[in-house]
This record gives sequence, structure tokens and C-alpha cells, in this order.
Amino acid sequence: MRFAFFIAISFFTFGSLVHADDASLPTAEAEILFVGKVLPLLKSRCFACHGDSPDGELKGDLDLTSREAMLKGGESGEPSLVNKKPEESLIYQAIRWDGYEMPPKENDRLNKAEIAYFESWITAGAPWPEAKRLAELQKESWEAEEGVVVETSGGESPDWTNRKYAEEDLWAYQPLSDPQVPKNSLPGSSDSAIDAFINRKIASAGIAPSDKADKLTLIRRATYDLTGLPPTPQEVHEFLNDQSPQAFHKLIDRLLDSPAYGEEMARHWLDVVRYADTAGFSNDFERPNAWRYRDYVIKAFNGDKPYDIFVTEQLAGDEILTLRNHSSGSDQREIEKFVKTNRYDISRHHNTTDSELQIAPGFLRMGPWEHTGMSVMAVTRQQFLDDVVNSTGETFLATALRCCKCHDHKFDPMPTLDYYRMQAVFAPVQFAERDAPFDEWEKTDGYIEMRQRIVGLKNNPGISLHIHENASEKEIEDARKGVNKVVKKQKSIRDRQQYRYDPLAFSVYNGPLNMGYRSNASRHPLPKTLKGDLQQVHVLTGGSIETPTDKVTPGVLSALPNSNNLVSPNEWNTIPQSLHGRRLALAQWIASEKNPLTSRVIVNRIWQWHFGKGLAENPNNFGSTGKKPSHPELLDHLASRIIEEGWSIKKLHRHIMLSETYQRAGTPSNPQQAASTDPTNKLLSWFPPRRLSGEEIRDSMLAISEELNREMGGVPIRPEINREVAFQPRHVMGSVAPAYLPSPTPGERNRRTIYAYKVRTLRDPMLEVFDQPNADNSCERRTESTVTPQVFSLFNSQNSYSRALAMATNLTKRADSESKQIQQAFQRAYGRVPSDAEFQTCQKHLEEMTAHHQKTDPVAVKSPPFIIREMVEEMTGIAFQWKEELDLYQNYVTDLQMADAPPETRALADLCLILMNSNEFLYVY
Amino acid sequence: MIFDPFDRRQFLYGLGASVGTLALNAMLQADDDAKQGPLTPKPGQFPTKIKSCIFLTMSGGPSHIDTFDPKPKLGELHLKEFQRQDKFTSAMNSGKRYYVASPFKFRKVGSNGTDMCEHWKHLPEVADDLCFYRGLQAESINHPTANYHMNTGNRFGGDPAIGAWTTYGLGSLNQNLPGFVVLPEVAHPQGGSANWSNGFLPAHYQGTTLRPTGSPILDLTPPKGVTREHQRKNLDVLAKLNDKHRSRHPRHAELSARMSNYELAFRMQTEVPDIINLAKESQQTQEAYGLGNALTDSFGRRCLLARRLVEEGVRFVQIYTAGWDSHDYIEAAHSKRMESVDQPIAALIKDLKERDMLDETLIVWTGEFGRSPDNGVRGGVKFGRDHNAKAMTCWLAGGGVKAGHTIGATDEIGSEAVDVVNLIRNFHVTLLKLLGLDDNKLTYFHGGRFKQLSQTGGEVIEELLA
Repeated sequence: MRFAFFIAISFFTFGSLVHADDASLPTAEAEILFVGKVLPLLKSRCFACHGDSPDGELKGDLDLTSREAMLKGGESGEPSLVNKKPEESLIYQAIRWDGYEMPPKENDRLNKAEIAYFESWITAGAPWPEAKRLAELQKESWEAEEGVVVETSGGESPDWTNRKYAEEDLWAYQPLSDPQVPKNSLPGSSDSAIDAFINRKIASAGIAPSDKADKLTLIRRATYDLTGLPPTPQEVHEFLNDQSPQAFHKLIDRLLDSPAYGEEMARHWLDVVRYADTAGFSNDFERPNAWRYRDYVIKAFNGDKPYDIFVTEQLAGDEILTLRNHSSGSDQREIEKFVKTNRYDISRHHNTTDSELQIAPGFLRMGPWEHTGMSVMAVTRQQFLDDVVNSTGETFLATALRCCKCHDHKFDPMPTLDYYRMQAVFAPVQFAERDAPFDEWEKTDGYIEMRQRIVGLKNNPGISLHIHENASEKEIEDARKGVNKVVKKQKSIRDRQQYRYDPLAFSVYNGPLNMGYRSNASRHPLPKTLKGDLQQVHVLTGGSIETPTDKVTPGVLSALPNSNNLVSPNEWNTIPQSLHGRRLALAQWIASEKNPLTSRVIVNRIWQWHFGKGLAENPNNFGSTGKKPSHPELLDHLASRIIEEGWSIKKLHRHIMLSETYQRAGTPSNPQQAASTDPTNKLLSWFPPRRLSGEEIRDSMLAISEELNREMGGVPIRPEINREVAFQPRHVMGSVAPAYLPSPTPGERNRRTIYAYKVRTLRDPMLEVFDQPNADNSCERRTESTVTPQVFSLFNSQNSYSRALAMATNLTKRADSESKQIQQAFQRAYGRVPSDAEFQTCQKHLEEMTAHHQKTDPVAVKSPPFIIREMVEEMTGIAFQWKEELDLYQNYVTDLQMADAPPETRALADLCLILMNSNEFLYVY
Repeated sequence: MIFDPFDRRQFLYGLGASVGTLALNAMLQADDDAKQGPLTPKPGQFPTKIKSCIFLTMSGGPSHIDTFDPKPKLGELHLKEFQRQDKFTSAMNSGKRYYVASPFKFRKVGSNGTDMCEHWKHLPEVADDLCFYRGLQAESINHPTANYHMNTGNRFGGDPAIGAWTTYGLGSLNQNLPGFVVLPEVAHPQGGSANWSNGFLPAHYQGTTLRPTGSPILDLTPPKGVTREHQRKNLDVLAKLNDKHRSRHPRHAELSARMSNYELAFRMQTEVPDIINLAKESQQTQEAYGLGNALTDSFGRRCLLARRLVEEGVRFVQIYTAGWDSHDYIEAAHSKRMESVDQPIAALIKDLKERDMLDETLIVWTGEFGRSPDNGVRGGVKFGRDHNAKAMTCWLAGGGVKAGHTIGATDEIGSEAVDVVNLIRNFHVTLLKLLGLDDNKLTYFHGGRFKQLSQTGGEVIEELLA
């Protein structure tokens, strides 16, 4: 009977918002509406300011917690509630943002349906049952409300625990459906499941998909997607001349086998995990061994490491090592217990070395973090725990857990309790730079000399006072104070840098809270003995460490299928409470075919890396506020398939790239139709073009200038960056950091950008303007902005001129005639020869420019042996200067210089610069 | 990505008369909206006279006790032992600690008896234009986190700066200049460009640094020896190639945007140096701002430049100056810091007033936190103060502020704000309100929720408003 009422109400409110004045609800139904809909909204959106704020303050002197108070109203003097007259009731006006705008925040604003509940309730006389009746109705309403209750470990209030969710908002938590592949609805020979799913929607929208792209477009698209580099003229030639039906298949195989594949995939992955070589904040301390994590990721993609293994190693590699070697230098009794009780099959990691198992969990420390004498240990520790939980959620589960730090999740079934239970998983995690011998595949050459240089700088940083001739003794004394601090700071920075070359892993261990930890220390070895208590995690009211409440035990996200079995916990959803094994258990819960998020999340990311957008457009957020998948069945199909195929990412690339969907032309076949039916190309009736990323632009310029050094891995290299930025003094705690010096030889500098030294507070401005994300937040998808500073960077910079000159010089070496040079320049940049018109334009330009350059005398770029730098000293309040020697510039091998090139080559360099700036070079179709 | 795959107007022309007039107009309207640039000026939510903001960041944490908030009680307590009660302290604040008196004399200035330390020699002339606020509290005692908090509303960085939010909300009045300009000292502050980041907002709202030396905007001009004619010729060939390419991809709107950016950049190359050329100012003006005087030149130049930029319609200018972190030698350091900014700031305010621009400008003076009444064990004249998140002084000037008043108060030793106490989020909401923006409406959907400068909302500090 009650149930029938509810159906009637929802029909009434949703179905006929325009109704006659007398069509008000009977009181009994209005009471149910109040309890089921209106009151929960009042509680969640209004009472915080107009009722139960902790300090008892009522905003605008308005109390909304009872009918009487509503009738009285607030300081405006007008009642909030005018009986049976919603239009005259201030509360109704306010929730419609008509006059007052309440609730004031966009996030809390009521939707149409919610506003309609208030309207119906007020029209019906705004009944507000007394407490006992209210409680009865509440219980019934939870049972009868439309939507789905999600069983969780429980929220802070019964309202939250019993609330219902729209089924479509829970799509990501449902078990994988493995839907049946439909018959391909469009004519053609494709037997790809991807095409079947994609074409079904295209056909039902009545759109004609684009034809297959031409072969040049395809090889450029595939090569950029899988390697981030342009195809060489030779590669283009071979592919265009391969008439076999297997040509594209072979191309994909070649690209997947290319070492550049792992580099490009790692670039995507490092965006998500926020990789940088420094720690951020006050000192932006170097993390001298973080680069080994970067190399681990590249190798993992290149070796097609099964994704479940990849996930597990990043969360718990060190624990797997403990199982493998039965020792990690910590408490032996705990280890024995762990080894004895754990049944995890470590043979799954037989392809992973001991060192890699220590390097992979560097993931846990990838976020910006620092603890010094100036910060509060309890605060920075909590900052780490918050960070690692959120990052684990975003990276592997597309769940932004930060939302439930202070309160139960507003929209998703994630209670605060789960957030802190996840934190308890990480409670034993402590930081260490662990001994991890270099593996054979790791690059180690040149380290002895590089280390010697750093040690030399540590002993003598090359800093000296710089002061004007007539300086008084006091001035000299003041300036010296500052200089001494610069020297001291640089020594400590060099001390840390020397560890770059040591076989250490930026890693973690399990142990009690390490109270003595300071980021200032250069290296933290594994402690020999462990003392103290394991950190106990509490639920923190409002997320504040000052107000801890209940103790929690480690756990997983209870809303997921079979993950809330707390009464008789099964192994899969249970986290042990021991020192060791918590993260391994979490990893097993995540990297499992039973977890519906994990496979969907990775499949969606890979899809985005090909099509620019995921099937679900927020790869870090599969919750109700993230965009829903455009092709949910296809997503599930691929998610099931990757599991079936042993979590192989390379196989997934093949499925995607061999589909017709991937091989379509980069423009719609019928623009009018596509524009009206599918303006954002959600249905993928044509292939969405993209701009190259900043890294791809730099790498491509080096590739077409034939300067790119394809060596892989190792300690970060330092490319030439804008020199003003390189020399810019940067405050670090108490002083400034040394000037940025590029690596001394072109060979070292001109390696791929993924190997470039990544400093959180010193960005390469060229990469920054081309939308390289900051490393402080996880980046689920890069933006592609078009801003004017991109022109300055690409068209004016010394770097661009150097690349253009190198390209021109190499062209003159290969081709003896101007016309061949033009042709080859086009082939290198675009993969094609110029049209006649283009050729003539270029030829004319070369003539004019050669004449111009014959009259000019280019200025050579000097690399100064020292610079004068300046800062304001906080002990004196005045600026002082010092001379800083730039040791690497003393034997610096510069790029080719305009001054050394003949006018014809400089003219050709102008053409190369133009090509590097052209849209055809910068966009992939 | 601003990617409109179809040139809608062309598409409509192609359809001709088959579309009804109403629908056609509606679609053309949408087209025009889409053509608005990301920096096109747009109205905020509140009426305001203010057009631009000059934000003066005193990096390091100026001591309120030694600048604008005198504490005679500390004279009595000088070198007596101090007990700290905080539950969570850093190593910096632990150990034996002593009260420290201010080394400076104070006096009352302006018509309402505003407190200023003796080292403010020029600022008293504009005391009646300033609204001092002593109730602000930061939530972090470490520089970068507090700086990030003051600049972005988020202690851990990565979010858009207030200048980015402002230009996102209001656009900018000059489309040929960046809307958010940052004038750093020679040395950049801790945390670097994250302090003026666009965060998750599109790159158009990123703070652009105009540099005190060298090329004002990075790579504004090509390498030495490349002439304007030379560059023009290269640009012409580039345009030809791009034109051809565009004709093969007629539906890719981004291509045209990128092409017009090259022309804008080419214009800016000559226009920007002209705008920032301080030699165009009279000798008298230059002297008034303290140019040529070693102590005031650097800050004075940037104040004068800020005036020129807001005159040109730049929406938000932020000036940084460091050196306020006086853990010791506060007498020497703070006196010099005050002297270095005193005359330039007074000149800026007078100059804006003379040009009838003060009402259209919001000026903010603040550090990231204040300083403690106590200090660890030091000897001789090395006295200084540590960080203090619970008390600080900042001031506002310009249109809409309660000029000539001092709002809020700290306790008798300056350790904690006790009257009109507000956290940074409320300060942000207030600044946005002055600029005509409603923090609750100035939102951007990111990471699953509408984000805002105050993070989760805040209150206007009405006491600061006229």
C-alpha cells in the first residue's frame, strides 16, 4: 500500500509539474514526501547554516529545523514558509535561486526534481510529523524509495547508510557484464567486436562513418600513438609500398616492439601518478633515485608486464620481496609470521628482479611531500596518508577518495569509514632509500665521472662574494652572511645529488612510525631495528588530526561487490592487521578479476591514449559525478577481454588499432550530418585529431633534425631550456638553489623528454605552455590549449632555432640540391613531398632568405663561465649578489651555431623553423 | 581542448533557406558566443567599480608586531620565558622560548590614529586610504604551504591562483596582454610558478611573469640578429603552408586559432616593450616611486609597472618581494624591508589617486602569515621571531574598502587574533566580492565536483567593506 503511494508521488512530481492549484497531495502522502525527500534535503543542504552548525550560529538568524521556525522566518522578517503557497514562500524562491540563492554553492544546488518536492510539500500544507511518527515513516521511506541501496561499512548517519542511488550512477561498481557482441550493423568485412559495438550506435544515429584513412595518415597516427615520434621517411616509404593486407598489422607489431613504445606509455602513466625528480614545497629536495621508478615503468610497458602484476608491484613490491627472501632488515618475528601465513603466489613475479620489487613501490611516494624542522610531524604524516589513499583510488580505481576525508561521500557510496580503513592499510608504510643493486638492463655508464663532479661541487660549490668596489665593511659583512648561506645550501643540495648514481631505490618499508624522519637528511637507509608502535589510524572528524574519533582496522572499499562481507570475511576482501601484508592484500583485492573497477579503469585509459577521450570521459572518476561511459557494453567487453588475455596491454592495443573505428579518416564524411547528430563525435564516426603533447613536440623536433639520441633510461638528463629560466634564482628554504645547467654534450641533452630532469618548481617553460601538467595533481587527461606564449616558445626560442639549424645542416649533408633539400625537409616533417605550389613557395623563400643572410652576420650564443646572481637576504633585509661558477659551461659542447653556418644553410633553417611551427607538423589526424 | 570540429557559420550558409529564421538566429548567436575569447571581459555577479587588482605579496611572513600592530606588553615581558601551549608543534617552535619586544618605535598616523612603525616614513601620507585588518589567520606555519594557501586557497598547491580565478571570472580588458601578470623579484619565491598557476583552469588564465631583467616575457623576441622583416617573411610562408593545410581540414577550428596567435604574438613583440618602458614616465614620477635609489629601485619599478599595466587594462597584477622571514636580526632586516617597499607603495597609491584610478583598483598587501611574540634561545641583537599562523596584519586599499580603519585585533602579546577572526578562505571570498565575483558562483567542474577558490565556501568579511 505504502509502496503504491510512492509510485503515485513520484509520478506526480516528475510527470506533472504543472498542475491545478487544488491538486495538492493528501496530508498522509505529503508526510511521506517530506520524510523521504524534503527532510533529507533540508538536512544535507540547509541545516549546516540554518540549524545545527557546531557553534550554534544561525545564518541570517534563520532556523529551518522545524515547521514553526520556518513559519517565523529569519532576519528579513518574512516567513520562509507561507502555508500552501510555494511561490510566496521564501524557501521555495531561494532554492530556485530566485532572489535569494540557496544553497549558495553550485555543488549543493537543488535540481528540478528536488525543487518540485518542496513545491508539492508546501502546496500540501507542509506537514511535519512529530518525532515518533517521523521515525516510523523514515524507516518505511528508506524501504520504499526508488533507487538502490548500496550496502557499505556504514556512514556517519542512518540517512546516509540507507540512502538510495540511481542505478546509472553505480555502473562502475557492478560486476563486469561481458555482453554479447552484436552483429556488425554496417556493411564491411570487419569482424572486430569494437566495430560491432561502435557501429551499432553509428547506424542507429543514421550517420555515415568516414572511410578508411589514407596510408600516410595511418602510419603517422599509429606511430605517434604508440611511440610519440614521427615515422621516418624510410618507414613511411616501406609502409606505403607494402601492398599486403597484413601491412598495418605488421606496422603495429613493429611499433609495439619498439623501445619507444614503453617511453610513450610511461609518459601517460607518469601523468597519472605525478612523477617528478623532486619533492616540492620549501626545498623541492631532489629525489635522487626516483628515476629508477620511471625506468621500471618503461620496462614494464615494453615487456607487456601483465597489468595485474604491474599494479601489485607498485602497491606492495617490497612485501613480495620479503616473501621471496624472508628478510627485509626489519623485525624478524613479524616477517616469519608473514611468510608462514601468506599464501600469495610469488612466482607470478618471476620476471621481476629483487631491485625492481623495491623500486616499484616508489609509486606510494610519488606525490609532493616534505617534512623539515619547520613542519609538524603529525601534519605531514597525515598529508602522506591522505595523499596515498587518494592516489591509489584515482590511479587504479578511478575513485576520488579525497571526497570522503571529512564526511561520507556526497554522491558515491563511499563512507568516511572506508577512507580511514584504506589509510590503515598504509599505516605501516615508512620511507627509505633501500639498497637495490643495478640490474643488467639499467643504464649506469658515465656515473663515476658524474658523481665525481657532484662530489667536487659539494666540496667547492664555486660561489663567491660579488660586491661593488666601494663597498663599506658593513656592506661586505652583510653580503657575506648571505653568501655563506648560499654556499651551505648548495653543499647540502650536492650532498643529496650524489646519491643519484648509487644503487638505491626510492622506496618504503613496513614499520612503526619513524619519528626521526626528516626530508633534510640526504638518505634514509632501512633501519636496523624497529622500535615503537605501529601507527593506529582513527577516523578524523572533519579530516582534522586535532579531532580523532574511532580507531579503525584496515579494509577495502565496502561498496564494491563482495567487499563488505565483514561478518565472515573472505580472504579476498580482508586486510590483515599485521605489520606486513596489508598492502599485498589490498593489491590482491584491486588487481583481481573480481574487482569491477580495475580492468575497466585501465581499458578506459588505453582507449583514451588512442582516441583522446576515454569511453568514460573522466578516467580518474567513475563515480556519479564523472561522465558516464558512451559505450558501456564495449567498455565491459574490453574489460573482460583484458582479463581473459592475461591482462595484456599490448593485445588491447592490437584490438583497438586493427578496428575500422581506429582506422577511420580524421574528418567526418558528412560534416553537416555529423555536426547536427553528434557534434562532439562521441560515436566515433570519424577519427578525432589531436595536437602533439609538449614532450612529443620536443622529441619530434629532435627526430626530424636527426639529433635525437635514442638511448634509454638512467639518471635524468638536462636539456637546454630557456636560459633566463635556467639562471633564475629560486628560493629554497633559507637560500636559493643552484642555477640549472644543461648536460654538457648534445648527445646527452638530446634524449627523449621523458628522461629530462623533472623539477616541480622549475618547469621547462616550453613544455609548460604546451600543457604539460604540474606534477602535484594527478592528470587524467591533458588539455590542449592554444595560447600565445606557445608561439614565443616555438617560433622565437633559441632552442627552436638550434633544432632548425641542425635539421638544415643535416639536410645539406644528405642532399646536394636545393630542391632535394626542400623535398626531404617535407618528408621528414610531414612524411610526404611538397605539392608544386608549396615547393615554389619554399624555393622562392630560400632565395630571398639566402640573399638576406648574405648580408647578416649572426651572433654566436656564448655559454658564460659564471653568472652574477642576486637575492634579498632575510637576515639583513637587503639584496646581495654572488658570483656562481657554471662549471659545465667551461667544456660545453654547444649546439650548432648560426655563426658557423653558411647563408644557404641559414636560409634552409628558416624553412625548417617554419615547418616545425606549422599545423601539419603539430597535429595528428 | 577548445575544439569545435565544425565551422558552424559556413555550415549554415551551406544549408541556405532550409533552416527557419528563428533556428538560424539561435545558432548564429551560439556561434558568436563560441567566438568569444577566453579573456573577453565579462561581468561578475556583484556590482563593483573595481576593474583591476594589484596584489602585493610580502613573502616570508612580515611581523605584524613590528610593522602595524604594536604590542607594548612585550616590552614588559622582554626575555621572560614563554610557554607554548600548542598540541602540534614543529621543531622550530619547541625548546626554551622567550618573549621578545619589538625593537621599533610606533606612532599614530592619519586622521583615525592608525598604528605604524617608525620605519614607515611615506605610508602615513596615505594612511587614510588603507584598511588594516588584524583578524586574519592562516592554517599552516610553513612557507610554501601558507603561500600556496594565500595564493590558491589550497595549502598543497596545484590549484588555480586567485589571479587565475579572477581572469577566469572577469576576463581581461586588454586582449593583447595577459590578463594575470606576475612581477617577481629577481629570485622566485619558494614553490615557484605553482604560486601563480592556472591549476586545473585552461592555460589562458596562467600568471605570466614579466621579468625584471632580460626579455620581459620569455622568448618574446627571436634570438639576436633576427630582424622584424626577416621574421615577417617567415611568418608569411608559415601562413601560406597553414592555409593550404587548413583547406584540407576545414572543420578543425583550432587551426585558425593557432594561426591568428602567430599574428598576435608578432604584434605583441613591439607593443609589450613599449607598454613596460618606464623611461616614458617623467623624471618626477620615477623619483616618486624610488627609482634610482638602491633600496627602493627594484620594488618601485614594479609598482610603477603595475600602474602602467592596470592602465592598459590588465586585470590582475601580483608583485612579490621576499626577505621578511626574520627568525633573527629582525631589527636590521625588517627595517630594510619596510624601507624598500614604503616609498613605492605610497607613490603608487598617490599616483592612482591623482589619475582617478584608486577607486577602480583593489590593492592588497599581505604576507603568508604573521610572526610569533617569542623566539628561541638567541643572544645579543640576533632577536627575531618565528612563524605564526594565528595572527598577522594585512591591508587593503582602493574601491569599496573601509579605508582609514583598523579592523579586528590580536591579543595583548600579538600571539593570536581575537577580534573579527577569519580564515584565509573568508579573506578570499571578500577579495572576490570586492572584484565583483561570488566565490560560490565562480566555479569550475574538475575532479568530480565544482571547485572554487575558497575550496568549500566561505563568508564575506563585511567589516572590511565600506
